[in-house]
Amino acid sequence: MTSFNVIRWIVWKDFVTELRSRETISSMVFFALIVILIFSFSFSMDQQAAREVIAGIMWVAFAFTGIIGLGKSFSTELQNDCLEALQMVPEAKGAIYLGKVAANFAFMFVVEILLFPMFVILFNLEVVEEISLLLLIFLLATVGLSAIGTLFSALTVQIRAREVMLPILLLPLVVPVMIAAVEATKGALNGDPLALYGQWLELLAVYDVVFTVVSFWMFELVMDS
Amino acid sequence: MTIHRVIRKVQRFQGWFGGGAALCLMVGLYLGLIGSPPDYYQGEVVRIMYIHVPLAHTSLLGYTVLALGSLWYLWKRDPIVDNMCQAVAALTAVFTALALGTGMIWGKPTWDTWWTWDARLTSFTVLLLILIGYLMLRTFVDDPEKEARYGAILAIVGFVDLPIIHFSVEWWRTLHQPQSISMRGVSISSGLLVPLLFMSVGMSLLFSYMLMVRTQLLYLDRLLHAKKGRLLSQFHLSKSDS
Repeated sequence: MTSFNVIRWIVWKDFVTELRSRETISSMVFFALIVILIFSFSFSMDQQAAREVIAGIMWVAFAFTGIIGLGKSFSTELQNDCLEALQMVPEAKGAIYLGKVAANFAFMFVVEILLFPMFVILFNLEVVEEISLLLLIFLLATVGLSAIGTLFSALTVQIRAREVMLPILLLPLVVPVMIAAVEATKGALNGDPLALYGQWLELLAVYDVVFTVVSFWMFELVMDS
Repeated sequence: MTIHRVIRKVQRFQGWFGGGAALCLMVGLYLGLIGSPPDYYQGEVVRIMYIHVPLAHTSLLGYTVLALGSLWYLWKRDPIVDNMCQAVAALTAVFTALALGTGMIWGKPTWDTWWTWDARLTSFTVLLLILIGYLMLRTFVDDPEKEARYGAILAIVGFVDLPIIHFSVEWWRTLHQPQSISMRGVSISSGLLVPLLFMSVGMSLLFSYMLMVRTQLLYLDRLLHAKKGRLLSQFHLSKSDS
């Protein structure tokens, strides 16, 4: 198998598992809905106030659901010692990493696309013009979250208290993604000119590149048994 | 059982670091608390800066040492380097927490608030969170080799992240709302600089001294555990023979 085939098979395997069990995406969507509901109860908002906080609520919901998906990504590999099987793949471990990142990215992105209409309806947003920009922001931020999240999912799955440790380790490291995603989303929803928040998109792009490279390099060390 | 040659060397030189730290800190404290005039704008409050600034500098230095040590560990896989990393992480966490605490004490009379989402405060808080995460991670791994490796990975990823965190927080503060409170425009006069210099050098020496002692402690602890394991297995073997 070439490395490219490894990537393809990992993605295929995760997709098929997901199609058969429907565990990850359904639990992510359902959890996010609860988070949104809790937030709408906690703040009683008029439309002006909603515009101010909606981007923050959105990304808190996306990050928390993302962590659920990321955690499941490797904890399902513990069944039947699949993790050891992955460690024995003769190709470079980086291929496994890229496959897992692609699958995690796809799950998170699908969930975000499914949830976004809920935000639009529940908080009375108008987004017809900025939809392509919002998609770009979602894309860039989700690449960043899944790039570093996949590394720490693989790391925490091999230690005790993994469900607790994944968010504890991951959330401080993704502070730049969260700030940039929230600020850019806020700008796009307010209909500000791109020049005002374009630098957040640049920051997201830089973060994506840096942490895909660093995590790709570190993943080999995480998977050493 | 032989003591590692690095430890031997450290044992020979650590006294100089401890003594130097004590000397510098005493001179610095005297100059800072008694020998220097109160600040024109801030009054006596400025004196906490002689503690706060060196603590903050030393924490950044400590995290740099942690990241370099982690790289070194991943390269050489020498357990003693990992003992150093574990020691430096705990110390850096303490120094960072103290830097935040003294910063808050300074902020109360100066900014009239204990806490503000100032860029530097925020990035130091995130730094502290990463360090606590590092220390927690280490307690949750059973295998010492894995513990060292995972810790090193987290330390390096965090080190790469720190400048990005700092820039993002800085942009966030300057774009989000105009910074109402800023330390810019406050230049340091030489009367304040000399005690600050003594305190900075003293604090770094103190950090190094504590790092040496703690590394030795962790190293000896590891030796002790290895010896205990060997003795126990010998004991069980001799019991099963008889």
